[in-house]
Amino acid sequence: MLAELLFYRLTFGMDSGFYQNNMAQNALEQTLTRQEQLDLKNKRVGLIVFQISWIMAFICLVIVNLWLRGQQTAWPPVGVEVSLVIPTLMTVALVASSVFMRRGMRALKADKRDSFAANWRVGLLLGVVFAIGMGYEFVAAPGSGQYQNVYRLMVGFHHIHALAIGYYLIRVYQNGRAGHYTPTHFWPVEGGASLWDFVTVAWVLFYVVLYII
Amino acid sequence: MASISVPVGAHGGAQEAEQPKLRVSDYLKWSVDHKIIGVQYGVTALFFFIVGGTLAMLIRWELLTPNLDLVRTGAEYNTLFTTHGLVMIFLWIIPMMAAFGNYILPLQLGAKDMAFPWLNAFAFWLIPPAGILFIGSLFVGAPESGWTMYPPLSTLFTGDGQTLAALAAHILGVSSILGAINFIVTIMNMRPPGMGWWQMPLFCWAILATSIIVVMATPFLAGALTLLILDRIAGTSFFDASKGGDPQLWQNIFWFYSHPAVYIMVLPGMGILSEVLSVHSRKPVFGYKMIAMSSMAIGIVGFTVWAHHMFTSIAPELRIPFMITSMIIAVPTGIKIFSWLGTLWGGKIRFTSAMLFGLGFLSMFVIGGIGGVMLAMIPFDIHVHDTYFVVSHFHFVLFGGSVFAIYAGIYHWFPKITGRMLDERLGKWHFALTYIGFFFTFFPMNLVGMLGMPRRVAYYLPEFEGVNKLISFAAFVLGLSTFILIYNLIVSLRNGKIAGANPWRALTLEWATTSPPPPTNFISDPVPFTDPYGYGSEGSQAYLDEIDRRFGLGEDTTVPRPAPLPAPSAGD
Repeated sequence: MLAELLFYRLTFGMDSGFYQNNMAQNALEQTLTRQEQLDLKNKRVGLIVFQISWIMAFICLVIVNLWLRGQQTAWPPVGVEVSLVIPTLMTVALVASSVFMRRGMRALKADKRDSFAANWRVGLLLGVVFAIGMGYEFVAAPGSGQYQNVYRLMVGFHHIHALAIGYYLIRVYQNGRAGHYTPTHFWPVEGGASLWDFVTVAWVLFYVVLYII
Repeated sequence: MASISVPVGAHGGAQEAEQPKLRVSDYLKWSVDHKIIGVQYGVTALFFFIVGGTLAMLIRWELLTPNLDLVRTGAEYNTLFTTHGLVMIFLWIIPMMAAFGNYILPLQLGAKDMAFPWLNAFAFWLIPPAGILFIGSLFVGAPESGWTMYPPLSTLFTGDGQTLAALAAHILGVSSILGAINFIVTIMNMRPPGMGWWQMPLFCWAILATSIIVVMATPFLAGALTLLILDRIAGTSFFDASKGGDPQLWQNIFWFYSHPAVYIMVLPGMGILSEVLSVHSRKPVFGYKMIAMSSMAIGIVGFTVWAHHMFTSIAPELRIPFMITSMIIAVPTGIKIFSWLGTLWGGKIRFTSAMLFGLGFLSMFVIGGIGGVMLAMIPFDIHVHDTYFVVSHFHFVLFGGSVFAIYAGIYHWFPKITGRMLDERLGKWHFALTYIGFFFTFFPMNLVGMLGMPRRVAYYLPEFEGVNKLISFAAFVLGLSTFILIYNLIVSLRNGKIAGANPWRALTLEWATTSPPPPTNFISDPVPFTDPYGYGSEGSQAYLDEIDRRFGLGEDTTVPRPAPLPAPSAGD
C-alpha cells in the first residue's frame, strides 16, 4: 500500500498526453476549474521534464557500452553469437504494447470504457510477453566477462523500469475497470501510457546499441 | 503622476490577521508547505555544515605540522578529507541552495506553493537518511577515495563505507532531480499574470538554469554510481582495467555530472547576489537580460568542459578543445560580474550584512574565477595538478562564491522567514572574521600549490610549515566565525527586532506579504510591480509605500523610509 502510494505520487498522480491533439478532449478539459487545469498542466510538464531527465541515465549506459567496447579488440567477443530473434520479437511486442496503451487512453478520453479496457488489456499482455522474453535474455546473457556485464547491466536496468511501470499499469487497469476514470479524470491513464512510451523509447535505444551497431 | 500597480488585491480581513503560530515540532514533521520544507532544508544543511566544518578543522589541525600528529595513519587522514568533501557538497551547499529555492521561489512568483508539494516534501525527506548513511559510512570501513571516488581507489582500496557513501550520493541525486523538476514546472506554469519571462526575478532565472543542469546531468551521476556500487558488491569490473574495464570511464561520466555540479552550487548563489546587490544599492539591475541569459549560457556551456579535470590523463589531442570551452565559460560569468558592478555603480549602497557578504562574494569569486581560467590553460594545469592551487581555486569558488552568497541570502531573507531582523552588529563581526579568515586560509594555498605541495597528503615538506600554520590558524578563525552566525540566528529568532513585511523596501513579490507569510503565502492574488528591480522611480516608491501601508512597518530603522507620496487618486 505504501509502495503504491509512493509510486502514485512519484508519477505525479499519473497520466500525460502533452502531444494529444483532440479537439473534443480539449473542450472537455476546458470544463475543469482553473486550479484543475493548472494541476493537469503541471503534471504533464512535470512528466515531460522527468522523461527528458531520466532518459539521460539510459544515454549514460549507452556511453558506457560504447566506451567499454572501444577497449576490446572484438565486440561481441570472438565466438559469441548473439541471436536477434527473441530481442527483435520482444521489441515489436513492446512497441505494439505502447500503441495499444495509447489507443486505450484515447478511448477513455472519448468515454469508450470498454474499448479502453480491451486496448489496455492487450497492451498489458504484450508488455508481459516483453518482460518474460527479456527476463530470459537477462538470465541467458550471451558471452562472458565484460561483454556479459554490460549486456546484463543494460537489460537489467531497463527491466527494472519496465517491471515497476508495468505494475503501475496493471493498477491503472484495475482502477479503470472499477470505473475510477472518466473523460475529465484521466491523468493516471494518460501518465501511465506516457511512462510506457518512455519504456519503449528507452528500449529501442538499447536495442539499437545492443544488437544493431 | 504615473499609474502604479498595487501589490495585493482585496484585503483578507480577519483571515489575514490570523497567523498560525508554528512550533519547532512542526518543522520536525512531514509537511507539504514549501516554507516549512525550505526551513527543513536550511536547518538540515546548516547541521551538516557544522559536521563538514568540524572535519575541515581536523584537517587543518593535522596540517599544523609536516608530520602525522592528530591522525594515526594516512588512511585516517584520507577519511577526513573524503567525508569533508562529500558532506560539504552533497549535504551543505546543494541542500542549502534548495532551501532558498523552496522558500523564496514560490513567493517570488506569487504562488501559493510549489507545483508538486508532496514531491517537494519527499525530495527533502530523502536527505536525512542519506546523511545518516554518509555518517554511518565512517564506522564501517570509512571511505578514503576523496569525494571524486576515482577507481581503483574507490573499488579496490577502501572499506565498506565507500559503498554506503555511494548509495547516499545516489539518494541525494534522486532528491535533487525531484526538486529540480518541481522548480522547473513551478517557474514555467505558475508565474502570475503580469509576470512574463522578462519580469521574473533573477533568483528564479538562476534556479531555472540550475534545475535544467540538475535534470540533465544528475542522471549521469546515478549511472556512474550504479556502476561503482555494482563493481563493489556484485563482482562486475566496469572500472577494473585488468578485466577489460576502464578507470577513465568513471572519470568521464563523473565529471560530466560533477563539473556542471559546480554551477549547480554557484548559480543559485549568483541569483541571490543579483537580488541583494540591487536591493541594497537601490539601483535597477544593470543588464537584467544579460544576467538571465548568462545563467542559461553557463548551464549549456557547462556541459562541454568536463575533461579539463583530466588534462593529465586524456589523450593530448583532446586537451585543446576542452581548454577552449573552459575559457569560453568564463565569458558569461564575466558578464555577470560586470553587470553586478554596473548595478553597484552610482547606487545608494547600504552596507548591511547582506550587502557586505554580497561584496565579499564579488571579490572572492573573481579570484576563484581567475584561478579557474589559469587552470584551464593546459601547461599551467599540468604543473599544478593535484596541488593546493586546485584546493584554493575551488574553495574560492565554493566558499568565496556559494557560501558567501548563502550568508548574504540568510541576512537578506531571514526577516521574511522569521519576521525578525538579524542583529546587524553581529552580522558585521561575522562578515569581518569570515572574510579575513577565509582569505588567509585559502589564498596562501595558491602559493604552496605552485611550489608543489600536493593535496590529499597528510605529510608535507618542512619548508611549507610556516605557511601551513598561517593557513590553519586562519581556518580556525573562519570556523569560529560560523558560530557568530549560529548565535545570531538563535538569539534573533526570539529577540530580534520586528521586521515588518518589507524591511529592505524590495520590489520582488516575496516582500508583498506578511513576514512570515501566511500558509497560503498571499491572502489574495498579488500583483507584481512591472519591473522587479525598478528602484528609484516614482512608481516603485508608490508601490513600496503601498506595501508599507498595507502590511505595516517593523521596528528596524536600517532602511529609512522616504516621505510617502500622496496616495493615488481614483483617476490614476
